[in-house]
Amino acid sequence: MFELKDPRKTFGEAVIEAAEKNPNVVVLSADSSSGSGLKDFPTLFPGRHFEFGIMEQGVIGYASGLATTGKIPVFAAIAPFVTARPFEMFRNDLGYMNQNVKVVGRCASLTYDQLGSTHHSIDDIAIIRTIPGVTVINPGDPVTIKKAVHAMINHMGPCYLKIGSPHMPVLYEEDVDFSLGKGIVIKEGHDVVLIGTGTVLSKTVVAARLLEESGISVRLIDIHTIKPLDRDLILSAARETGRIVTVEEHFITGGLGSAIAEICSQEYPVKIKMIGIGDHYASNGPYEELLRKYGLQPDQIKETVVKFLQDK
Amino acid sequence: MDSKEILKLEYTALNIRRNILRLIRAGGSGHLGGALSSVEIVTALYFDLMNIDPGKPKWPKRDRFVLSAGHKCLVLYAALAERGFFDVSVLDTYGSLDSPVPGHPNMHKLPGVETNTGALGHGLSIAGGMALGLRMDKFQSRVFVVMGDGELAEGSNWEAASAASMHKLDNILVFVDRNQLQISGRTVDVMSYEPLSDRWRSFGWSVRIIDGHDFEAIIGNARQIPFEKGKPSVIIADTIKSKGLTFAERKVNYHYWKASQEEMEHAKRDLDAIEKSLKEKTNMIAGNV
Repeated sequence: MFELKDPRKTFGEAVIEAAEKNPNVVVLSADSSSGSGLKDFPTLFPGRHFEFGIMEQGVIGYASGLATTGKIPVFAAIAPFVTARPFEMFRNDLGYMNQNVKVVGRCASLTYDQLGSTHHSIDDIAIIRTIPGVTVINPGDPVTIKKAVHAMINHMGPCYLKIGSPHMPVLYEEDVDFSLGKGIVIKEGHDVVLIGTGTVLSKTVVAARLLEESGISVRLIDIHTIKPLDRDLILSAARETGRIVTVEEHFITGGLGSAIAEICSQEYPVKIKMIGIGDHYASNGPYEELLRKYGLQPDQIKETVVKFLQDK
Repeated sequence: MDSKEILKLEYTALNIRRNILRLIRAGGSGHLGGALSSVEIVTALYFDLMNIDPGKPKWPKRDRFVLSAGHKCLVLYAALAERGFFDVSVLDTYGSLDSPVPGHPNMHKLPGVETNTGALGHGLSIAGGMALGLRMDKFQSRVFVVMGDGELAEGSNWEAASAASMHKLDNILVFVDRNQLQISGRTVDVMSYEPLSDRWRSFGWSVRIIDGHDFEAIIGNARQIPFEKGKPSVIIADTIKSKGLTFAERKVNYHYWKASQEEMEHAKRDLDAIEKSLKEKTNMIAGNV
């Protein structure tokens, strides 16, 4: 069994560590710091935390302006409210101006389960990855969340980091090699490549085990950086296995699977099965049951892969 | 201010208006009305009020200028060229492929441009962030913003305005270029912002109203910021859309101008007439001395 950790707490601890090292790190809140693991930031770093109340569009602009003076603003709030709502501010004030701002969507994907579609963010990767120059990061466990925070603070340029809400399994050792834009091969294999990301990476890991137990050799890859995508790793996986299955807690439209298909279809076409959410709003309910409803539990992923491999 | 200083600024404003025509001549068309209505404000900023160095456009302690109404970019390019940020011949590229002077400003293409604006209602938030950052650095730098009055219908401005007063950003001065017209007609008929002073005051700003073509009023008031300690300042500048071109003044259809040869010649005659009146003024001042 995996140890479980709170992603928001992990994120907040990493930001505090980064702020201790780098005096330019400042935190902006849209009534959202306390829910982002940053409750203690204002007292730990007086004068480096700015509260704005619930005005996410304006906060993106303020972050852009702060970045022009050399600050590294970190702005964390509920994912749809920092992506879909202020999209034009993200596009113009951060992307187009190439500002060194770190936007963090927390309680992302379906993790705000019973709160319904206004609070789900299963389109954020699709829309933010259209913005030139923005790094899009979707880590799948607490160890890589922490490493992603430090990597994005050290990276010059706009970033979008996506994290979930419920406690999540620790999948990696502390010394795992993490760099932005480089996927992690968790396990080698030759029958099929299974690529997971973000909150459902752990489901993908378990699915890979189930497949191995039934005699299917799986190459398991964690794509924690959706943009820039690790094209070499993906193309070599396509060449060497001939079949790709992607798993994401996101619309199939525009997500990880689409990004991979954009590369493979042009450079090395292989059959790709995309597991994710179809063209409809997701329902509401307990998180694990929602994942089951959309085929994202390990046994369901396994069945989908098995059928996909049978389909010549 | 003495009359000689003002006269000098009036000559500079004339040159900036001529630069605006030069841009439009190169590109064939452009956002004319709002560029001309804010000429005196922008001239006062770049030739008197702002602490800037054209040789060091990224100097950290400089004052910042944010053109929230990015479509007024012709006045910004015209002023930057006149102030020596780049050679005035750059203006002749307006409208051509990859020109450093696009239809809305791009900070990556031209020295002196601080922000990429164009979508309305973005500038004040960015300016607020600049003001916060400059205050953190304990710099005396100020942030000057020009907004259009039609732009005030964008709700994002009022998010930015709340935050500026909440964070006591008294190093910001906004000019509202109240030329009273937007694409569909009179601004108060399209979406009224009245009572405008009360609106800004209720958001925690200190407000003054001036004639936006009067250098003495622009500079005299702007030098007094913050109008109240701990509060951001706003000047509602009453202006005339397309100011300086007699055939276009106060006319809504010159918001964006596709220049005919005939009108271009008329525009030239109008600016020549301004020059003539400035020369007469010069002689009068010389006679008085």
